[in-house]
Amino acid sequence: MDEEFNWLEYSESMDAAAQEDEAQSSRRGLRRFLPRLPGLPGLPSLPRLSRPRLPSLPSLFRRGEHASSQPSAADLLGSQQERPLDDLDERLRALRERSVVTSQPTAPPNQALYDVDDILTSPELQSKPGGVISAAALSRAQQQQVQMLREIVGDPEQSQWAGGRRDLPAFSLGAVPRLLGSALLVLVVCLPFASSDYAEGQLPPAEFHEDRHQPTAFYDLLDNVSRDDTILVAFEYGPTAAGELDLLAELLLRHILAQKAKPLIVSSNPIAIVHAQNILRSINRSLAGADAQLLHGEDYYVLRYLPGGALGLRELSQNFADVVRISARGFPTGLEFETLDEMAEIVLIAESAEAVRNWVEQVLSATGGRRLLLATGYAAQPLAQAYADSMTSIVGPVYGIRDAFTYGEKLANNFGGLLSVDAPVEPEGDPEVVQLPVNVVSDSQVEAPRPTESQVDAVPATALPQPTATKPPTATPFMTATPRPPTATPLPTDTPAPTATEASIRVVEVISDQSVNIRRGPTTIDEILGLGYKGDMFEVIGANGDSSWYNILLPGGVRAWIAAFLVEERVVTASEFAGAQASASADAPPERVILQLDFSLRLSKNHPRFYQARPPTSGEGDRPELILSRDRGLEVPRLQAMTLGTLAAILVIVFGNTIYAARGLMRRRDSQGS
Amino acid sequence: MGRGQRYGIALSAFVAFAVGAVMTLSLLLGDNPALFGDQPGSAQLAGLLALPADVLLRLVTIVVALSILIGIANLLYVHVGRLARGKAYSAIVLASFGFTVYWYVMRPGDTSLLEAVQVPIESALAALLCLSLLHGGSRVLGKRADIWGLLFVAVVVLVLLASLPLAELAPIQAWRDWLMRVPVSAGARALLLGIALGTVVTGVRALLGQDRSFRG
Repeated sequence: MDEEFNWLEYSESMDAAAQEDEAQSSRRGLRRFLPRLPGLPGLPSLPRLSRPRLPSLPSLFRRGEHASSQPSAADLLGSQQERPLDDLDERLRALRERSVVTSQPTAPPNQALYDVDDILTSPELQSKPGGVISAAALSRAQQQQVQMLREIVGDPEQSQWAGGRRDLPAFSLGAVPRLLGSALLVLVVCLPFASSDYAEGQLPPAEFHEDRHQPTAFYDLLDNVSRDDTILVAFEYGPTAAGELDLLAELLLRHILAQKAKPLIVSSNPIAIVHAQNILRSINRSLAGADAQLLHGEDYYVLRYLPGGALGLRELSQNFADVVRISARGFPTGLEFETLDEMAEIVLIAESAEAVRNWVEQVLSATGGRRLLLATGYAAQPLAQAYADSMTSIVGPVYGIRDAFTYGEKLANNFGGLLSVDAPVEPEGDPEVVQLPVNVVSDSQVEAPRPTESQVDAVPATALPQPTATKPPTATPFMTATPRPPTATPLPTDTPAPTATEASIRVVEVISDQSVNIRRGPTTIDEILGLGYKGDMFEVIGANGDSSWYNILLPGGVRAWIAAFLVEERVVTASEFAGAQASASADAPPERVILQLDFSLRLSKNHPRFYQARPPTSGEGDRPELILSRDRGLEVPRLQAMTLGTLAAILVIVFGNTIYAARGLMRRRDSQGS
Repeated sequence: MGRGQRYGIALSAFVAFAVGAVMTLSLLLGDNPALFGDQPGSAQLAGLLALPADVLLRLVTIVVALSILIGIANLLYVHVGRLARGKAYSAIVLASFGFTVYWYVMRPGDTSLLEAVQVPIESALAALLCLSLLHGGSRVLGKRADIWGLLFVAVVVLVLLASLPLAELAPIQAWRDWLMRVPVSAGARALLLGIALGTVVTGVRALLGQDRSFRG
């Protein structure tokens, strides 16, 4: 730049350059990179685009004819004429007048040239590269003149702009309420972590509310996945939502892994992929004591990052075979899936409504009727709920940390009781205490759930004639308890009486294709003791008043209840019953003995855990036992902190607005009085 | 306007229209065969368009991935320039970048940086946002003391109260449920409709050459 810059010369030079540019306009585009060849025949000129005749289209589409003369939308905006003020409605005029009033200079009268100073110190100029001086293109002489003007005027803010940096504003009393409110919030959020005495309100229930069918269906679908099923799990949240969604994500992964299904983790957010790996590592860390590790490529897969947001998801649905072949670290996975329809379920854990929308639009629509199980944060819940209410293929949403807590309770409860009839444990000791399989850690013994006297009184069981057959030899008791003799009247039956030659047993056989809950009492709110699978046979000892529930005797003598519509009542001989039990023992998948509970619903300072033990089977060689455990020590304090923090926020908002409203009323009264 | 520019405009518009037509037809015929399944030749057309649509989609994905690399390179270039001008904070950015790459290469699979840096920073920012929202919420009536400000504060307090797990607040929870089920759900659906309509209009305008963001 010249030392003495001449604006007039600059203007003329620019005009000359513009004329030259206009003269060279025929060499724009790619041709300007080509050498100028004398005598090169020019390209034939394109005919002007003729005005299309589109009388039937809306005006919006007909405006496309001006595309060649109006190169971009920005030009269109620039060519718009300003509307006259009279055309504006009253509200817009009021806004304009307010902005005019607030933009009036408020400099004191003794500060001369205040407008020049405002321009020189405006943020727009300050943000230019090189600061104010270079942005305004002032010469050194002009800078000296500006400095002289500043000194003459006696700019009070001059000292604050030394070196182009603004000093920190002085502390003002106006910040005190803000600091107090923030301190109060931080204090009450921290209190529950210091002591369990600071608690308020109830913890989330152990079951989803009966009006919320969708979260229950969400749980049941994941609960019914089979061994080696592949579940696509989408992690669409970053560290910002980690506090809200980490617990839910970990529970979902544990649930899938406990069923010995394989999660395929995928995301269009690179940080989310790293975060998912972190959660899997934390699960593995909890397995360190059990000498069992989840293996990438065997127990789970983390697929490559999908760039491009919605476009990446589109590629996932269109080129699924390619996506699943590469892991997040760029190695081949060895997976050979062709389409998304080969996934047993698709689970989406999302923090934003946009992620939910992208998955529904780009992925779900491309599947052949797959379900999408939605787990979201609070922010995405309204949109997710709208989708779930509208589309039958969407299940959920399970959202927020409170639903996560309920999910964990439900998971612990459902895997906490009797799950197997084939665990080889000899009954010993206190008959009311669960005897654990030998391959489950010994400190996970829990008190056996047993029917209370009140429950027995409330629902009198009607007894059947006691069978005389011996217990099947292969059905070794898993839980032991003292069988209580039935005391009620015999259940009428139209089945033929057993023959005298061989003792017969009245049994129920599970006919449901899905697993059936076995409960401590004859209602769906009673505790679940275990699961029954299709073909399982249980000895019947009674029924409730309307015969909608059977009172059954589990191996080991524990009495339990099972819904009548899920089973079929039969009378079999002792040998048939023993054969069925032996067959069930042989065919039972190992996951039916995998979960045992050391967990109390008392939500105080306990550190409940649940364990999954995978007994070695003949087909798995020396694969280590899989034991999942989870430290839940901080879950309750976090919930309490959320409750107390919400209370503090309500107090601050109500108190602050009350003061501001009162002050506004007083000002109004004073102005009316004056 | 010179001939070259007119050629460029025509070529750009043609490419945009052709690509958009291929992708749109592929989307309609491939994802929703029920819509045009009974039309003669629809299956053949879908088969013809499948390959070009797939190639274009992959190209876009690759371009997006490359744009991330270009963004990283640009970030480094800008901060190297700032460092040359004596901006010390740029040195921190460059050193952090180099250290992160080194850590990732030397200790693959170690996410301690994520746990120790990324998560705390983002959590702290979220907490600051929470405090700012709380401060703003506490002075709504100071800025706007009218019926709408009062309504805003009332709804905020109602929703927050209903989120408290207190049995005494069960009636308020029913109100909150209604709020979430009716007005909030209506707003969410309206957003969906608006986004869908906006997407369609923007797409059509781009295809017709009205908006040419691809060429500026």
